[in-house]
Amino acid sequence: MIGRARSQAADASKFVVDWMEHRTGVVTHMEHFLYEPVPKRGAWVYTLGSACLFLIALQFLTGILLLFYYVPTTDHAWDSVYYIMNDAYFGVLIRGIHYWSANFLMAVIGMHMAQVFFSGGYKAPRELNWVVGVVLLLLVIGLAFTGYLLRWDQDGFWASVVGMKIGSYSPFIGGATIHFLLGGDTVGPATLSRFFAIHVWLLPAAIAPLIGLHLYLLRRHGVFGSESEYTERLAKLHETQRLEEYSRLEMGDDPYDDDDDRYGDNGSRNGRE
Amino acid sequence: MTELQKDPITRGDFLGFGLLGTVVGAILTIPPVAFVLSPVIKTDLLGESDIDEGWQEVASVSDIPTDEPASFTIEFPIEQIYAGPDVQNQFPDEKRSDEEFTLKNAVWLSWKSEINHDTGKIAKVERPSFLDEKSSGFSESEREELKKNINVLSNSCAHLGCPVRWLINLDGKGEFLCPCHGGLYDINGTYEGGPPPRDMYRYVNVKIEEDGKLYVKHGYDIEPGLDKQQPYVV
Ligand code: FES
Repeated sequence: MIGRARSQAADASKFVVDWMEHRTGVVTHMEHFLYEPVPKRGAWVYTLGSACLFLIALQFLTGILLLFYYVPTTDHAWDSVYYIMNDAYFGVLIRGIHYWSANFLMAVIGMHMAQVFFSGGYKAPRELNWVVGVVLLLLVIGLAFTGYLLRWDQDGFWASVVGMKIGSYSPFIGGATIHFLLGGDTVGPATLSRFFAIHVWLLPAAIAPLIGLHLYLLRRHGVFGSESEYTERLAKLHETQRLEEYSRLEMGDDPYDDDDDRYGDNGSRNGRE
Repeated sequence: MTELQKDPITRGDFLGFGLLGTVVGAILTIPPVAFVLSPVIKTDLLGESDIDEGWQEVASVSDIPTDEPASFTIEFPIEQIYAGPDVQNQFPDEKRSDEEFTLKNAVWLSWKSEINHDTGKIAKVERPSFLDEKSSGFSESEREELKKNINVLSNSCAHLGCPVRWLINLDGKGEFLCPCHGGLYDINGTYEGGPPPRDMYRYVNVKIEEDGKLYVKHGYDIEPGLDKQQPYVV
Protein backbone atom coordinates (compact mmCIF):
# COMPACT_ATOMS: atom_id res chain seq x y z
CA MET A 1 0.00 0.00 0.00
CA ILE A 2 2.65 2.43 1.07
CA GLY A 3 4.92 1.23 -1.72
CA ARG A 4 2.23 1.96 -4.28
CA ALA A 5 1.59 5.42 -2.94
CA ARG A 6 5.28 6.15 -3.02
CA SER A 7 5.73 5.04 -6.60
CA GLN A 8 2.66 7.04 -7.62
CA ALA A 9 4.05 10.12 -5.98
CA ALA A 10 7.37 9.56 -7.72
CA ASP A 11 5.59 9.23 -11.06
CA ALA A 12 3.59 12.38 -10.45
CA SER A 13 6.63 14.44 -9.49
CA LYS A 14 8.54 13.12 -12.48
CA PHE A 15 5.66 14.17 -14.68
CA VAL A 16 5.68 17.72 -13.22
CA VAL A 17 9.45 18.01 -13.56
CA ASP A 18 9.39 16.77 -17.15
CA TRP A 19 6.52 19.09 -17.99
CA MET A 20 8.41 22.12 -16.61
CA GLU A 21 11.63 21.05 -18.27
CA HIS A 22 10.00 20.81 -21.69
CA ARG A 23 8.42 24.18 -21.47
CA THR A 24 11.04 26.24 -19.62
CA GLY A 25 14.25 24.22 -19.43
CA VAL A 26 14.30 25.15 -15.76
CA VAL A 27 15.69 21.83 -14.53
CA THR A 28 18.82 21.97 -16.65
CA HIS A 29 19.33 25.56 -15.58
CA MET A 30 18.94 24.65 -11.93
CA GLU A 31 21.46 21.88 -12.34
CA HIS A 32 23.82 24.25 -14.04
CA PHE A 33 23.43 26.89 -11.33
CA LEU A 34 23.34 24.71 -8.25
CA TYR A 35 25.95 22.04 -8.86
CA GLU A 36 29.57 22.92 -8.90
CA PRO A 37 32.52 20.53 -8.75
CA VAL A 38 34.95 21.71 -6.07
CA PRO A 39 38.12 20.06 -4.82
CA LYS A 40 37.54 17.82 -1.88
CA ARG A 41 40.13 19.45 0.31
CA GLY A 42 38.89 22.62 2.01
CA ALA A 43 35.49 22.41 0.34
CA TRP A 44 33.94 24.38 3.21
CA VAL A 45 35.67 27.62 2.30
CA TYR A 46 33.78 27.56 -1.00
CA THR A 47 30.54 28.01 0.91
CA LEU A 48 31.40 31.51 2.16
CA GLY A 49 29.91 33.17 -0.93
CA SER A 50 26.69 31.22 -0.49
CA ALA A 51 26.69 32.24 3.17
CA CYS A 52 26.77 35.91 2.08
CA LEU A 53 23.92 35.28 -0.32
CA PHE A 54 21.92 33.56 2.40
CA LEU A 55 22.47 36.43 4.85
CA ILE A 56 21.50 39.03 2.26
CA ALA A 57 18.37 37.04 1.49
CA LEU A 58 17.57 37.12 5.22
CA GLN A 59 18.08 40.88 5.18
CA PHE A 60 15.59 41.28 2.35
CA LEU A 61 12.99 39.05 3.97
CA THR A 62 13.18 40.42 7.51
CA GLY A 63 13.49 43.96 6.12
CA ILE A 64 10.22 43.55 4.23
CA LEU A 65 8.58 42.28 7.41
CA LEU A 66 9.90 45.18 9.52
CA LEU A 67 8.39 47.62 7.02
CA PHE A 68 4.94 46.49 8.10
CA TYR A 69 5.40 48.36 11.39
CA TYR A 70 8.31 50.78 11.03
CA VAL A 71 7.40 54.46 10.59
CA PRO A 72 10.12 56.65 9.07
CA THR A 73 9.31 59.95 10.81
CA THR A 74 11.24 61.64 13.57
CA ASP A 75 8.25 61.68 15.90
CA HIS A 76 7.40 58.01 15.50
CA ALA A 77 10.47 56.07 14.36
CA TRP A 78 11.69 55.20 17.83
CA ASP A 79 8.19 54.34 19.06
CA SER A 80 7.56 52.05 16.12
CA VAL A 81 10.80 50.18 16.82
CA TYR A 82 9.70 49.96 20.44
CA TYR A 83 6.38 48.55 19.30
CA ILE A 84 8.15 45.95 17.14
CA MET A 85 10.31 44.92 20.07
CA ASN A 86 7.60 44.78 22.70
CA ASP A 87 4.14 44.33 21.23
CA ALA A 88 4.36 42.70 17.82
CA TYR A 89 4.44 38.90 17.94
CA PHE A 90 7.98 37.63 17.29
CA GLY A 91 9.10 41.22 16.78
CA VAL A 92 12.23 40.56 18.80
CA LEU A 93 13.01 37.59 16.58
CA ILE A 94 12.40 39.34 13.27
CA ARG A 95 14.32 42.46 14.21
CA GLY A 96 16.99 40.35 15.91
CA ILE A 97 17.54 38.37 12.72
CA HIS A 98 17.73 41.60 10.71
CA TYR A 99 20.24 43.04 13.17
CA TRP A 100 22.42 39.98 13.67
CA SER A 101 22.49 38.81 10.09
CA ALA A 102 23.58 42.33 9.14
CA ASN A 103 26.45 42.06 11.61
CA PHE A 104 27.41 38.58 10.48
CA LEU A 105 27.15 39.67 6.87
CA MET A 106 29.99 42.12 7.32
CA ALA A 107 32.16 39.43 8.92
CA VAL A 108 31.32 36.78 6.33
CA ILE A 109 31.99 39.19 3.47
CA GLY A 110 35.42 39.80 5.00
CA MET A 111 36.13 36.05 5.14
CA HIS A 112 34.77 35.54 1.63
CA MET A 113 37.08 38.26 0.28
CA ALA A 114 40.04 36.85 2.18
CA GLN A 115 39.39 33.39 0.77
CA VAL A 116 39.16 34.72 -2.80
CA PHE A 117 42.24 36.84 -2.28
CA PHE A 118 44.47 34.14 -0.81
CA SER A 119 43.39 31.50 -3.30
CA GLY A 120 44.06 33.93 -6.16
CA GLY A 121 40.45 33.70 -7.28
CA TYR A 122 40.57 37.28 -8.61
CA LYS A 123 43.05 36.42 -11.38
CA ALA A 124 42.22 36.22 -15.07
CA PRO A 125 39.58 35.53 -16.27
CA ARG A 126 37.78 36.39 -13.00
CA GLU A 127 38.93 40.01 -12.49
CA LEU A 128 35.52 41.50 -13.28
CA ASN A 129 33.86 39.33 -10.70
CA TRP A 130 36.22 40.77 -8.09
CA VAL A 131 35.30 44.28 -9.24
CA VAL A 132 31.59 43.54 -9.01
CA GLY A 133 32.21 42.03 -5.58
CA VAL A 134 33.91 45.18 -4.35
CA VAL A 135 30.96 47.28 -5.56
CA LEU A 136 28.68 44.91 -3.65
CA LEU A 137 30.83 45.40 -0.56
CA LEU A 138 30.48 49.18 -0.82
CA LEU A 139 26.72 48.88 -1.24
CA VAL A 140 26.50 46.67 1.84
CA ILE A 141 28.53 49.21 3.82
CA GLY A 142 26.11 51.88 2.62
CA LEU A 143 23.19 49.75 3.79
CA ALA A 144 24.80 49.18 7.17
CA PHE A 145 25.43 52.91 7.57
CA THR A 146 21.95 54.04 6.57
CA GLY A 147 20.21 51.33 8.57
CA TYR A 148 21.86 52.45 11.77
CA LEU A 149 20.11 55.83 11.80
CA LEU A 150 16.64 54.39 11.24
CA ARG A 151 16.42 53.23 14.87
CA TRP A 152 16.50 56.91 15.80
CA ASP A 153 17.99 56.21 19.22
CA GLN A 154 21.04 57.88 20.74
CA ASP A 155 23.38 55.16 19.55
CA GLY A 156 22.30 55.14 15.93
CA PHE A 157 21.88 58.91 15.83
CA TRP A 158 25.40 59.76 17.00
CA ALA A 159 27.04 57.02 14.98
CA SER A 160 25.39 58.44 11.89
CA VAL A 161 26.31 62.02 12.77
CA VAL A 162 29.94 61.00 13.18
CA GLY A 163 29.78 59.00 9.94
CA MET A 164 28.31 61.92 8.01
CA LYS A 165 30.92 64.27 9.42
CA ILE A 166 33.68 61.91 8.30
CA GLY A 167 32.16 62.28 4.84
CA SER A 168 32.26 66.07 5.19
CA TYR A 169 36.05 65.97 5.30
CA SER A 170 36.27 64.66 1.75
CA PRO A 171 38.00 67.18 -0.53
CA PHE A 172 35.89 69.47 -2.77
CA ILE A 173 32.59 67.60 -2.38
CA GLY A 174 32.59 67.40 1.44
CA GLY A 175 29.90 70.04 1.88
CA ALA A 176 27.71 68.66 -0.87
CA THR A 177 28.04 65.13 0.54
CA ILE A 178 26.89 66.01 4.02
CA HIS A 179 24.11 68.30 2.79
CA PHE A 180 22.92 65.52 0.51
CA LEU A 181 22.81 63.07 3.41
CA LEU A 182 21.31 65.54 5.89
CA GLY A 183 18.75 66.80 3.42
CA GLY A 184 19.56 70.36 4.45
CA ASP A 185 22.08 71.83 6.83
CA THR A 186 20.96 70.17 10.03
CA VAL A 187 19.80 66.77 11.25
CA GLY A 188 16.04 66.70 11.10
CA PRO A 189 13.02 65.03 9.55
CA ALA A 190 14.57 65.22 6.09
CA THR A 191 17.61 63.27 7.23
CA LEU A 192 15.55 60.33 8.44
CA SER A 193 13.43 60.30 5.28
CA ARG A 194 16.52 60.25 3.07
CA PHE A 195 18.23 57.51 5.00
CA PHE A 196 15.02 55.52 4.84
CA ALA A 197 14.75 55.98 1.08
CA ILE A 198 18.37 55.02 0.57
CA HIS A 199 18.23 52.04 2.91
CA VAL A 200 14.95 50.60 1.77
CA TRP A 201 14.81 51.38 -1.94
CA LEU A 202 17.92 52.80 -3.52
CA LEU A 203 20.60 50.43 -2.27
CA PRO A 204 18.54 47.19 -2.31
CA ALA A 205 17.46 48.01 -5.86
CA ALA A 206 21.12 48.48 -6.79
CA ILE A 207 22.37 45.44 -4.95
CA ALA A 208 19.92 42.90 -6.40
CA PRO A 209 20.98 43.07 -10.08
CA LEU A 210 24.64 43.20 -9.08
CA ILE A 211 24.24 40.00 -7.09
CA GLY A 212 22.74 38.47 -10.24
CA LEU A 213 25.74 39.63 -12.24
CA HIS A 214 28.12 38.30 -9.59
CA LEU A 215 26.49 34.86 -9.78
CA TYR A 216 26.41 34.88 -13.56
CA LEU A 217 30.12 35.64 -13.77
CA LEU A 218 30.81 33.02 -11.13
CA ARG A 219 29.00 30.35 -13.13
CA ARG A 220 30.65 31.45 -16.33
CA HIS A 221 34.14 30.82 -14.98
CA GLY A 222 33.48 28.42 -12.13
CA VAL A 223 34.56 28.88 -8.57
CA PHE A 224 37.63 26.73 -8.89
CA GLY A 225 38.56 26.54 -12.56
CA SER A 226 38.09 23.58 -14.81
CA GLU A 227 39.81 20.33 -14.06
CA SER A 228 41.83 20.60 -17.25
CA GLU A 229 42.99 24.07 -16.24
CA TYR A 230 44.24 22.55 -13.01
CA THR A 231 46.02 19.55 -14.59
CA GLU A 232 47.59 21.82 -17.18
CA ARG A 233 49.03 24.03 -14.50
CA LEU A 234 50.35 21.00 -12.66
CA ALA A 235 51.97 19.63 -15.83
CA LYS A 236 53.64 22.99 -16.45
CA LEU A 237 55.03 22.97 -12.93
CA HIS A 238 56.51 19.50 -13.41
CA GLU A 239 58.06 20.55 -16.66
CA THR A 240 59.85 23.58 -15.18
CA GLN A 241 61.12 21.52 -12.29
CA ARG A 242 62.47 18.87 -14.67
CA LEU A 243 64.24 21.54 -16.71
CA GLU A 244 65.77 23.03 -13.59
CA GLU A 245 67.09 19.65 -12.60
CA TYR A 246 68.67 19.14 -16.03
CA SER A 247 70.37 22.51 -16.02
CA ARG A 248 71.77 21.77 -12.62
CA LEU A 249 73.24 18.45 -13.88
CA GLU A 250 74.69 20.20 -16.93
CA MET A 251 76.48 22.69 -14.76
CA GLY A 252 78.39 19.78 -13.24
CA ASP A 253 76.63 19.94 -9.95
CA ASP A 254 76.17 16.25 -9.14
CA PRO A 255 72.93 15.86 -7.19
CA TYR A 256 73.88 12.39 -5.96
CA ASP A 257 77.05 13.73 -4.42
CA ASP A 258 75.47 14.54 -1.11
CA ASP A 259 72.16 15.66 0.23
CA ASP A 260 72.44 19.18 -1.07
CA ASP A 261 68.78 19.49 -1.98
CA ARG A 262 68.06 19.01 1.70
CA TYR A 263 65.16 16.68 1.05
CA GLY A 264 66.68 13.65 2.71
CA ASP A 265 68.07 10.47 1.20
CA ASN A 266 65.12 9.08 -0.60
CA GLY A 267 63.47 12.38 -1.42
CA SER A 268 63.78 14.46 -4.50
CA ARG A 269 61.93 17.56 -5.48
CA ASN A 270 59.70 15.66 -7.81
CA GLY A 271 58.57 13.42 -5.05
CA ARG A 272 57.39 16.33 -2.95
CA GLU A 273 54.46 17.81 -4.68
CA MET B 1 38.51 43.55 -33.08
CA THR B 2 35.06 42.13 -33.47
CA GLU B 3 32.79 43.84 -35.90
CA LEU B 4 30.21 45.58 -33.76
CA GLN B 5 28.60 47.82 -36.27
CA LYS B 6 26.46 45.92 -38.71
CA ASP B 7 24.98 48.82 -40.67
CA PRO B 8 27.29 51.77 -40.96
CA ILE B 9 25.62 55.15 -40.39
CA THR B 10 26.46 58.41 -42.06
CA ARG B 11 28.22 61.25 -40.28
CA GLY B 12 25.06 63.38 -40.41
CA ASP B 13 22.99 60.63 -38.83
CA PHE B 14 25.62 60.14 -36.17
CA LEU B 15 25.62 63.82 -35.23
CA GLY B 16 21.85 63.93 -35.34
CA PHE B 17 21.53 60.96 -33.00
CA GLY B 18 24.16 62.45 -30.74
CA LEU B 19 22.30 65.75 -30.46
CA LEU B 20 18.93 64.08 -29.98
CA GLY B 21 20.46 61.75 -27.39
CA THR B 22 21.90 64.68 -25.44
CA VAL B 23 18.61 66.58 -25.41
CA VAL B 24 16.52 63.56 -24.45
CA GLY B 25 19.14 62.53 -21.88
CA ALA B 26 19.08 65.96 -20.29
CA ILE B 27 15.28 66.02 -20.18
CA LEU B 28 15.29 62.64 -18.50
CA THR B 29 18.09 63.24 -15.98
CA ILE B 30 17.86 66.86 -14.86
CA PRO B 31 14.48 66.67 -13.04
CA PRO B 32 15.24 63.59 -10.92
CA VAL B 33 18.79 64.70 -10.12
CA ALA B 34 17.70 68.20 -9.13
CA PHE B 35 14.84 66.66 -7.15
CA VAL B 36 17.18 64.49 -5.10
CA LEU B 37 19.87 67.14 -4.77
CA SER B 38 17.58 70.05 -3.86
CA PRO B 39 18.97 70.35 -0.30
CA VAL B 40 22.48 70.58 -1.75
CA ILE B 41 21.38 73.24 -4.22
CA LYS B 42 19.54 75.21 -1.54
CA THR B 43 22.34 75.10 1.04
CA ASP B 44 25.48 75.21 -1.06
CA LEU B 45 24.44 77.31 -4.05
CA LEU B 46 21.70 79.54 -2.65
CA GLY B 47 23.11 79.70 0.89
CA GLU B 48 19.80 78.96 2.60
CA SER B 49 19.62 77.41 6.04
CA ASP B 50 17.03 75.22 7.74
CA ILE B 51 17.82 76.73 11.12
CA ASP B 52 15.95 79.72 12.51
CA GLU B 53 18.06 82.88 12.50
CA GLY B 54 16.54 84.48 15.60
CA TRP B 55 17.83 84.93 19.17
CA GLN B 56 17.39 81.98 21.52
CA GLU B 57 17.59 82.22 25.28
CA VAL B 58 20.33 80.19 26.97
CA ALA B 59 20.53 81.05 30.66
CA SER B 60 20.97 83.83 33.14
CA VAL B 61 24.56 85.01 33.73
CA SER B 62 24.21 84.50 37.45
CA ASP B 63 23.74 80.77 36.80
CA ILE B 64 27.31 80.42 35.59
CA PRO B 65 29.48 78.87 38.32
CA THR B 66 32.73 80.54 39.30
CA ASP B 67 35.41 78.02 38.48
CA GLU B 68 33.82 75.44 36.24
CA PRO B 69 31.59 75.46 33.17
CA ALA B 70 27.91 74.63 33.21
CA SER B 71 25.90 73.25 30.32
CA PHE B 72 22.54 74.53 29.15
CA THR B 73 20.37 73.35 26.29
CA ILE B 74 19.03 75.58 23.59
CA GLU B 75 16.62 74.74 20.86
CA PHE B 76 16.70 76.37 17.46
CA PRO B 77 13.48 75.89 15.48
CA ILE B 78 14.17 74.18 12.17
CA GLU B 79 12.28 73.86 8.93
CA GLN B 80 12.67 70.68 6.98
CA ILE B 81 10.01 69.05 4.81
CA TYR B 82 6.96 68.51 7.02
CA ALA B 83 8.39 70.71 9.76
CA GLY B 84 8.16 73.79 7.56
CA PRO B 85 5.75 76.57 8.56
CA ASP B 86 3.55 76.15 5.48
CA VAL B 87 2.82 72.59 6.51
CA GLN B 88 2.53 73.34 10.22
CA ASN B 89 0.27 76.37 9.77
CA GLN B 90 -1.93 75.06 7.02
CA PHE B 91 -4.68 74.21 9.48
CA PRO B 92 -3.89 76.34 12.54
CA ASP B 93 -6.59 74.75 14.68
CA GLU B 94 -5.32 71.23 14.22
CA LYS B 95 -1.80 70.44 15.21
CA ARG B 96 0.08 68.68 12.45
CA SER B 97 2.55 66.97 14.70
CA ASP B 98 3.15 66.41 18.37
CA GLU B 99 6.76 67.32 18.07
CA GLU B 100 8.19 70.79 17.81
CA PHE B 101 10.90 70.47 15.24
CA THR B 102 14.01 71.91 16.74
CA LEU B 103 17.72 71.49 16.68
CA LYS B 104 18.70 70.83 20.26
CA ASN B 105 22.20 71.91 21.14
CA ALA B 106 24.03 72.09 24.40
CA VAL B 107 26.04 75.17 25.27
CA TRP B 108 28.86 75.29 27.80
CA LEU B 109 29.02 78.60 29.62
CA SER B 110 32.01 79.57 31.74
CA TRP B 111 34.01 82.60 32.78
CA LYS B 112 37.17 83.18 30.81
CA SER B 113 40.04 81.91 32.89
CA GLU B 114 43.76 82.05 32.93
CA ILE B 115 45.36 78.65 33.14
CA ASN B 116 48.53 77.92 35.06
CA HIS B 117 50.67 76.19 32.47
CA ASP B 118 52.57 74.00 34.93
CA THR B 119 49.70 72.49 36.85
CA GLY B 120 46.99 72.98 34.25
CA LYS B 121 44.76 74.41 36.95
CA ILE B 122 42.78 77.61 36.73
CA ALA B 123 44.86 80.53 37.96
CA LYS B 124 42.53 83.47 37.58
CA VAL B 125 38.85 83.81 36.72
CA GLU B 126 37.61 86.93 34.91
CA ARG B 127 34.32 87.08 36.77
CA PRO B 128 33.19 90.68 37.19
CA SER B 129 32.87 91.49 40.89
CA PHE B 130 29.58 93.39 40.52
CA LEU B 131 27.91 90.01 40.02
CA ASP B 132 28.17 89.39 43.73
CA GLU B 133 25.84 92.29 44.41
CA LYS B 134 23.18 91.96 41.73
CA SER B 135 21.78 89.46 39.27
CA SER B 136 19.78 91.82 37.08
CA GLY B 137 19.50 95.45 36.06
CA PHE B 138 22.90 95.62 34.38
CA SER B 139 23.98 98.81 32.70
CA GLU B 140 25.26 99.02 29.14
CA SER B 141 28.92 98.91 30.13
CA GLU B 142 28.40 96.10 32.62
CA ARG B 143 26.71 94.04 29.92
CA GLU B 144 29.64 94.68 27.63
CA GLU B 145 32.04 93.49 30.29
CA LEU B 146 30.01 90.37 30.99
CA LYS B 147 29.84 89.54 27.32
CA LYS B 148 33.58 89.98 26.94
CA ASN B 149 34.33 87.57 29.79
CA ILE B 150 31.99 84.67 29.06
CA ASN B 151 32.95 81.61 27.03
CA VAL B 152 29.95 80.51 24.98
CA LEU B 153 31.02 77.15 23.62
CA SER B 154 29.15 74.57 21.59
CA ASN B 155 29.36 71.11 23.11
CA SER B 156 29.84 69.62 19.65
CA CYS B 157 33.43 68.37 19.44
CA ALA B 158 35.44 70.03 16.67
CA HIS B 159 36.56 66.63 15.44
CA LEU B 160 33.41 64.74 14.47
CA GLY B 161 30.77 66.34 16.64
CA CYS B 162 30.34 64.11 19.66
CA PRO B 163 29.12 65.90 22.78
CA VAL B 164 32.01 66.84 25.07
CA ARG B 165 31.79 66.87 28.84
CA TRP B 166 33.63 68.55 31.67
CA LEU B 167 35.73 66.26 33.81
CA ILE B 168 37.95 66.94 36.79
CA ASN B 169 40.79 64.48 37.09
CA LEU B 170 42.54 63.27 40.22
CA ASP B 171 44.99 66.12 40.59
CA GLY B 172 42.17 68.61 40.37
CA LYS B 173 42.68 69.70 36.78
CA GLY B 174 39.50 70.20 34.77
CA GLU B 175 39.16 69.51 31.06
CA PHE B 176 36.57 69.07 28.35
CA LEU B 177 36.85 65.45 27.25
CA CYS B 178 35.24 64.06 24.14
CA PRO B 179 34.03 60.49 24.68
CA CYS B 180 34.38 59.43 21.06
CA HIS B 181 38.11 59.66 20.35
CA GLY B 182 39.49 61.44 23.35
CA GLY B 183 39.69 65.06 22.19
CA LEU B 184 40.73 67.41 25.04
CA TYR B 185 40.12 71.12 25.56
CA ASP B 186 40.66 73.47 28.47
CA ILE B 187 37.98 75.61 30.13
CA ASN B 188 38.25 78.31 27.45
CA GLY B 189 37.71 75.68 24.75
CA THR B 190 41.34 75.84 23.65
CA TYR B 191 42.60 72.67 22.03
CA GLU B 192 44.80 70.55 24.29
CA GLY B 193 45.09 67.12 22.72
CA GLY B 194 43.54 64.35 20.67
CA PRO B 195 42.28 64.33 17.09
CA PRO B 196 40.32 67.63 16.87
CA PRO B 197 41.87 70.02 14.35
CA ARG B 198 40.96 73.22 16.21
CA ASP B 199 39.51 74.78 19.37
CA MET B 200 35.92 74.20 20.37
CA TYR B 201 33.31 76.14 18.43
CA ARG B 202 32.24 79.43 19.99
CA TYR B 203 28.94 81.11 19.29
CA VAL B 204 29.69 84.41 17.62
CA ASN B 205 26.37 86.17 18.11
CA VAL B 206 25.82 86.62 21.82
CA LYS B 207 23.78 89.25 23.64
CA ILE B 208 23.01 89.88 27.30
CA GLU B 209 19.83 91.67 28.30
CA GLU B 210 19.39 93.99 31.25
CA ASP B 211 17.86 91.19 33.31
CA GLY B 212 21.04 89.17 32.90
CA LYS B 213 19.63 86.68 30.39
CA LEU B 214 22.05 85.47 27.74
CA TYR B 215 20.86 84.94 24.16
CA VAL B 216 22.61 83.45 21.14
CA LYS B 217 22.01 83.10 17.44
CA HIS B 218 22.98 79.97 15.56
CA GLY B 219 26.45 80.45 14.06
CA TYR B 220 30.03 79.65 15.00
CA ASP B 221 33.49 81.11 14.71
CA ILE B 222 34.59 79.51 11.49
CA GLU B 223 37.47 81.31 9.87
CA PRO B 224 36.42 83.07 6.71
CA GLY B 225 39.01 81.48 4.45
CA LEU B 226 38.13 78.01 5.55
CA ASP B 227 35.49 76.05 3.70
CA LYS B 228 32.40 76.25 5.86
CA GLN B 229 32.23 72.46 5.96
CA GLN B 230 35.72 71.65 7.20
CA PRO B 231 35.18 70.57 9.86
CA TYR B 232 31.42 70.45 9.66
CA VAL B 233 29.23 71.52 12.56
CA VAL B 234 25.47 71.52 12.94
S1 FES C 1 34.50 63.45 17.92
FE1 FES C 1 35.54 64.31 19.60
S2 FES C 1 37.48 63.40 19.42
FE2 FES C 1 36.46 62.57 17.70
